[in-house]
Amino acid sequence: MSEMRTIKDMPVNDMFVSGHGACAGCGMAVAVKNIMRILGADTTVYVPASCLVVISAMYPTSNFRTPYLFTAFENTGAVTTGIRAAQRRRGLSSTVVGLAGDGGTFDIGLQALSGAAERNEDILYVCLDNEGYMNTGIQRSGATPFGAWTTTTPVGTKVEGKREFKKDIMAIIAAHDPPYAASLSIAHFNDFIKKVEKAKAKKGFRFLHVMTPCVPGWRSDPSMTVEIARMAVETGMWTLYEIEDGEARTTYKPQTMLPVTDYLKLQGRFRHMENGDVAKLQEWLCAKWYLHYGNDMEQPVCATFEKMKRVRHPHEEQLHFI
Amino acid sequence: MKVMVISADHAVAYAAKLARTEVVPSFPITPQTLIVEQLAEFINDGELDADFIPADSEHSVMSMAVGASAGGVRVFTATSSQGLALMHEMLYAVPQSRLPIVMANVNRSLGAASGIWVEYNDSMAERDSGWLQVYVEDNQEALDATLMAFRLAEDRRVLLPVMVCLDGFILSHTVERVDLPEQEEVDRFLPKFVPYNMLDPSDPKLMNPIVPPEYAMEMRYQLDRAVEHSREVIAEVDELFAREFGRSYGGLIDTYRLEDAEYAMLTLGTATGLARQVVDELRSEGKKAGLIKLRFMRPFPFKELCAACRDLKALGVFDRSASFNGGGPVYTEVAAALCNVPTTVTGHVAGIGGRDITPEHMREMYDIVEKASRGEKVRPVTWHGLRGDME
Amino acid sequence: MYEVRFHGRGGQGAVMAAQALAEAAVIEGRHAQAFPYFGAERRGAPVMAFARIDDRKISIKSQVYEPDLLVVLDESLLDIEPVARGLKKDGKAVINTRKLPTEIDLGVEVECATVPATSIAMEFLKAPIVNTAILGAVVRMCDLVSMESMQQAIANRFGEKFGETAAKANAAAAAAAHAQAAIGRCKGRRPLAQKKEWLPAWNEIPIGTTLDERIVDGVTVGPGGARQNLTGSWRVQTPRYDKEKCVRCQRCWFSCPEGCIKREEDEYVRWDLNYCKGCGICAQVCPVKAIDMIKGGSR
Ligand SMILES: Cc1ncc(C[n+]2csc(CCOP(=O)(O)OP(=O)(O)O)c2C)c(N)n1
Ligand code: SF4
Ligand code: SF4
Ligand code: SF4
Ligand SMILES: [Mg+2]
Repeated sequence: MSEMRTIKDMPVNDMFVSGHGACAGCGMAVAVKNIMRILGADTTVYVPASCLVVISAMYPTSNFRTPYLFTAFENTGAVTTGIRAAQRRRGLSSTVVGLAGDGGTFDIGLQALSGAAERNEDILYVCLDNEGYMNTGIQRSGATPFGAWTTTTPVGTKVEGKREFKKDIMAIIAAHDPPYAASLSIAHFNDFIKKVEKAKAKKGFRFLHVMTPCVPGWRSDPSMTVEIARMAVETGMWTLYEIEDGEARTTYKPQTMLPVTDYLKLQGRFRHMENGDVAKLQEWLCAKWYLHYGNDMEQPVCATFEKMKRVRHPHEEQLHFI
Repeated sequence: MKVMVISADHAVAYAAKLARTEVVPSFPITPQTLIVEQLAEFINDGELDADFIPADSEHSVMSMAVGASAGGVRVFTATSSQGLALMHEMLYAVPQSRLPIVMANVNRSLGAASGIWVEYNDSMAERDSGWLQVYVEDNQEALDATLMAFRLAEDRRVLLPVMVCLDGFILSHTVERVDLPEQEEVDRFLPKFVPYNMLDPSDPKLMNPIVPPEYAMEMRYQLDRAVEHSREVIAEVDELFAREFGRSYGGLIDTYRLEDAEYAMLTLGTATGLARQVVDELRSEGKKAGLIKLRFMRPFPFKELCAACRDLKALGVFDRSASFNGGGPVYTEVAAALCNVPTTVTGHVAGIGGRDITPEHMREMYDIVEKASRGEKVRPVTWHGLRGDME
Repeated sequence: MYEVRFHGRGGQGAVMAAQALAEAAVIEGRHAQAFPYFGAERRGAPVMAFARIDDRKISIKSQVYEPDLLVVLDESLLDIEPVARGLKKDGKAVINTRKLPTEIDLGVEVECATVPATSIAMEFLKAPIVNTAILGAVVRMCDLVSMESMQQAIANRFGEKFGETAAKANAAAAAAAHAQAAIGRCKGRRPLAQKKEWLPAWNEIPIGTTLDERIVDGVTVGPGGARQNLTGSWRVQTPRYDKEKCVRCQRCWFSCPEGCIKREEDEYVRWDLNYCKGCGICAQVCPVKAIDMIKGGSR
């Protein structure tokens, strides 16, 4: 099979068919549709409780043309482990993929995920990160960014939005030393394709982290879904890299860091944010930026902050992003 | 056949090995741990060709079991108490998905005021999950019931998971004589595993999506009927087992010296063995005492109990767990089953939290039931071996 | 007892409308309840909500099967849902449309109010959230509650959630709809839209909550069967393709959440509008502006 480099190299067969119930402009649907195109027919899908189950698998039909299973919320790492063990014993080589939300990955499913990563199970784990519990109506998760409104981090008179920063799930995964882990954006088409293809080809535990903007949850315009994903990368809210056998590699580096407000203003969930909170988020982003892209290039938007390299996990130091 | 002196935990592990289990997800918990340790040994010594998956929790154990069973292989696992409770959410996914998983639950008390000792409140809490539940009396039955569980679970008329319940420590850590069947015998008794539904990209299936109200009710009734029809298969499997191995357990219930009995106890688990001995003593004193052994809590033997109690004046029901303010779960279900039979039913709670049940306790139970059989007024439910007078 | 059934699409506020109607009745000292059809549908998908009003405490909690009043928040539902099913012969209907009642074929001939609630909502609320505007027409159609109570209820409901300015704007939208509603009789010619359904008896359902792909009772079930949900009916704007401009980059094909853009042999693209929800992503990602969005949905 020749390597996929651009959209044009992608298979045209849809394994995730039209007719799903996602909101118009759903970023998760964009991600799932393309991941399934690349994984192809020889795939077995597990989806935990999340928007994805509800929009795509309601008895008696589903949008997945592949085998499909759902059981609960917190067990993607475990169920996929079981499926893969059985299929290996039966001589099947199918890609077993778990398509989990951020809640099912960062929070309630972290234990089963860690177990699967630690055992280096031969599965592909995809985290569809819409930065909140959307299926239950937009509640905060460990993936929700600082400042964001959700129904459990409401904009009140005393407290406005989420007070904690987004959990670095990739660092946690990296600490398990998996054969492959990568972050993806639906706005970086070719990068997306290459990473999914790589993840499909590798053996052992593979992790893909894809940002999937959510129209009602982010209070955004449906037409802006891909643009928001693109802007996340340009402002450093999302970074594109991959970790392959312990080596971390940046796959796309923006020319200059755009101010975070360029990203925030596209979404209603940040509309209330005061200057102080915006500055706090910008500072956090600058630290993240230098960690990922290095100190070599001064970023004007970071000029007011003390330049420091904040390492959240000793492992990240070893991963030396290049 | 090989004669061994082993614990029930080991007997169960041998059964899982003889059944050629293919995937064993596991997590340790006393007093079950010996089972998965033994299976790990079998696998690492090459005596059993299976995948041993050391999970991160019992929730993951049952999730892996579901994944592997849906993936088309024979799955066995074991747990106890808090582990079973942690599986609770996943237990419910299995029967409706019709996955024939076999699991041993080594009974142990659950909750606060709990320890590591036997009580049935762990498995009783799961009796409406759709799993079939069998309770065993001794180590030989632990082995035999596990083998039969595979045959029963995988029967196309059943396709339901089976939970084999055995007393923590009293069986799990007690060694006694166990006759170990030969592999060829077991292979004849238990055919090669053929999945009914499986996740295979060459024949894609949609398994267990969200089910809206338009379908869920019919599916539940289907499950209700499947559990009901497993009654016939249980009887068949018992006969088949007797033919192959020469041992029979009577199906849903078994009886002991019940033919001309005027009163009897109904017991489950190891209390049955004790009751047998007490019945013998009572009989030698000329009393018309008998015994019913409840093997399956699910399917519940409604018809069999009515038939067995036809000529009984009174029946005492033993429980090793409490329903709180209503006696025990077995008592309430037996009383409901016998509502159209004139037999007086009394409840007897004993052995809670691992408290030893002595011959005197059992004797006390029989004495109360005897009084009831003579029409004397007795307590509806008595706690035996309790310090202080009952209220 | 007076029973009302609302038909709308996810995001239009059918549930809020039912709640506000119930609250208006309670303000007038009566008893009322309102509840959604407990589904799991997302924005744009057909939804229902129910309300009951009575002088005594209402004990029933079943869904409404024979409504006295039907409120249709989205006209396009008439083509795809059996909206008028069970509507009483002497029942009434309120429909969000630019047409006059006589131009509407509901499937049952009843007294009917029509109101251009969408344009009223756009004017007062700057969004196509039609639930408050339609309530003004409801008051006009039947003397269920007074306009004062309705506006009070709207202010209470919306003020609590979105603040005072929003409450005022919503109340004003209701007042405008009250004034603009046209009253007449609608037509009852069309047969009710038929929904193909597979409703097997318990022993006909394949066991294990598991299905392979098959067609039963005219319904495709199993893997991929969801392709019979023609989500194109959700659309309120439609992409228009200018092939001349297209540079065949396939970005739109990659970015469409619905998978309704097809790649042709020659790498030009083609639309299957049966599924297009009109999100506008394709137009936004196109590097040469070969796609623009035009107003209007499936018709
Ligand atoms: C044990 C358990 N707790 C809570 C829920 C309810 N629940 C279902 S989906 C969900 C949120 C899912 O969030 P996420 O994983 O981020 O997926 P999303 O819906 O955002 O795509 C919750 C809380 C559940 N199904 N199971
Ligand atoms: S709520 Fe968000 S994630 Fe869920 S279907 Fe809608 S847009 Fe997609
Ligand atoms: S508007 Fe464009 S991107 Fe959106 S659903 Fe329609 S074709 Fe797809
Ligand atoms: S994005 Fe525009 S240029 Fe590219 S294929 Fe689509 S219509 Fe053509
Ligand atoms: Mg989420």
